[in-house]
Amino acid sequence: MKIEKTRRFLLKHQAVFTSILAVILAFAMVGILLLSTGRNPAEAFGYFIRGAFGDMFNFANTISRVVPLLIAAIAFIVGAKGSVFNVGIEGQLLLGALASAVVGWGIKLPKVIHLPLTLLAGTLAGGLYALIPAWLKVYRKVNEILSTIMLNYPAFFFNHYIVLNVTPLEGVIPATPFIQETAKFAKLVPGTRLHAGVIVTALVVVFAYFLLKKTALGYEMRAVGLNQEAARFHGIPVEKRMMLSFFISGCLAGLAGAVEMAGVHYRYLDQFSPGYGYDSITVAMVGLLSPVGAIFSATLFGALKTGILDMAVYTEIPRQLVTLINGIVVLFISAKSIIQERFKRFVKGKDPASLAEENK
Amino acid sequence: MESNFLEIIGSIFSLSLGYATIRISISIIFASMGEMITERSGVFNMGVEGIMLMGAFSAAVATHFTGSPWIGLLVAAVVGVLIGLIFAFIAITVKSDQAISGLAIYLLGVGLSGYLLQAIFSHGGNTPKVETLPMIHFRFMENIPFINEIFNDQSVLMIPALLLPVILYFVFYKTPWGTWLRAAGENPKALAVVGKDPIKVRYIAVLAGALLAGIGGAYLSISQTSLFGEKMVNGRGFIALSAVIFGNVKPGGVFVATLFFGFMDALQYALQTVIPDQYFPREVFMALPYIITLLILAGFIKQSSGPADIGNPYEKESR
Repeated sequence: MKIEKTRRFLLKHQAVFTSILAVILAFAMVGILLLSTGRNPAEAFGYFIRGAFGDMFNFANTISRVVPLLIAAIAFIVGAKGSVFNVGIEGQLLLGALASAVVGWGIKLPKVIHLPLTLLAGTLAGGLYALIPAWLKVYRKVNEILSTIMLNYPAFFFNHYIVLNVTPLEGVIPATPFIQETAKFAKLVPGTRLHAGVIVTALVVVFAYFLLKKTALGYEMRAVGLNQEAARFHGIPVEKRMMLSFFISGCLAGLAGAVEMAGVHYRYLDQFSPGYGYDSITVAMVGLLSPVGAIFSATLFGALKTGILDMAVYTEIPRQLVTLINGIVVLFISAKSIIQERFKRFVKGKDPASLAEENK
Repeated sequence: MESNFLEIIGSIFSLSLGYATIRISISIIFASMGEMITERSGVFNMGVEGIMLMGAFSAAVATHFTGSPWIGLLVAAVVGVLIGLIFAFIAITVKSDQAISGLAIYLLGVGLSGYLLQAIFSHGGNTPKVETLPMIHFRFMENIPFINEIFNDQSVLMIPALLLPVILYFVFYKTPWGTWLRAAGENPKALAVVGKDPIKVRYIAVLAGALLAGIGGAYLSISQTSLFGEKMVNGRGFIALSAVIFGNVKPGGVFVATLFFGFMDALQYALQTVIPDQYFPREVFMALPYIITLLILAGFIKQSSGPADIGNPYEKESR
């Protein structure tokens, strides 16, 4: 029967539908908020679509926003799969951007070496910083959500100090000097922010996919994420794998910062990140912690970032709407279990008995 | 040269540093005392920063439109409770991960206060200047040295802030409510056995904590300054979390920890005016609360443990 088939399909992919439902609910809530503050949600939506995808330039800008979001989201996913909840991506990303900016500015090398070296510096800076909460979690049993969110502040203060007092200031904006031409990503579409870092992003997605799905190491990391005791029983070195998950997560976070620096700003700009680190958590959770899912959700949130710029210009709708949407989405995602419960009940035709059966 | 140096030291460690310490600490005292209540009941609310932001924002807005900072204060408390209710529902009733729920509340606070600020005032990153809560002047203090310089002419909110640790000490250890509260955090099943609902106790504790965080936020916008600016809480919510950990989830300890962090912040400001930045990285002071907290968490600084059941949802049937 056709209905039965749809039903089974819906139940099989209930996680995906729950995630989509949570996002829709969150957006409905945002719509209500827009209405109640005297803004027209339909008009806002129109400008948002136009601003994000309307023409070649807007689309290119949207993709350029997807770049740091997606890399950072992958960073979060690699951690989360290995039972590491890395909320410190923001701090690791900032340090990565600074380290790469220093390398990109301070040394002179041919392009083939300079750009990779610049990215590597950022990657390592993020990874090394992540080793602090990693060690705290693995060997001192410190909740990493708390430790990583706290470590975001010292990272920011450190960068602030370096930019103001160590590297030479050019002009009044707190920033490092511009990097050498050899350390920059080429622009893909002139006049937009879209740069060759997109290629790096694609590589990161492929890397994460293969690491998690196709390698023994990735299998072990995921085993630790699923059940530590069972993993230990099977001879997997749980502590080492957790440290590794955290390190790779930090490395990718640092890389996200480095790519954004070498592709868009060409220097470390104090406060250049509009919270990419925090956004990446939303992106990763909406994408169901899958590298492929993250492509879709990163596109959605990247589009939000550019779409809202247009919206803010034409409709008096504040650009802070993005952060608000983020908060509401995370809220709904964290309350996902009730949505999922309702979803199951709805699909099954409100039969509590069979629902109880299913839960067993 | 030497007398010059002494003069500088003297100008830093003057009584005005004590005054500034209290002034800076008041908002964090409300937040940390609130978080302490919440954590005692077995719930860890990482969203304090977000609640403080909404408290600060709603206080400034209500004061702007009514002209009365007292109404602003009341509105901030109510808004704090409402956001606390969202958190409590997700963390306690839905039993989501408390840390993720807290993160959601933090992001919600940043986004909602930022959005509404722009939506209502559409210009700049802050509200217009608003009326502030009165400062209080004690006649009797005038002749008492030290006390006068440090405690006189502070915000009226200093009084409840200084009384809170004492009141909470009595509530925690001398009343049945305190026993129930601590039982909810230590052994909720035992509490259920004596006929008290741990879920209800945790709800009340979360709401009380959120109310105080809202007031702590309000202090920032309608007393310490006279407007709300985007992201003005600036990490104080996380400092409050740190203070609760540093102070071992006990009224006296948390109070002292909060004053210590307040003092560090005041010192940092004072140093900023006399020593050029390149010789003295004030960022070190700003990062200090976070670093100290991590050292405590790592076990480098001895601490007895907090509530046993913290972070775990209460399950009625099983376990």
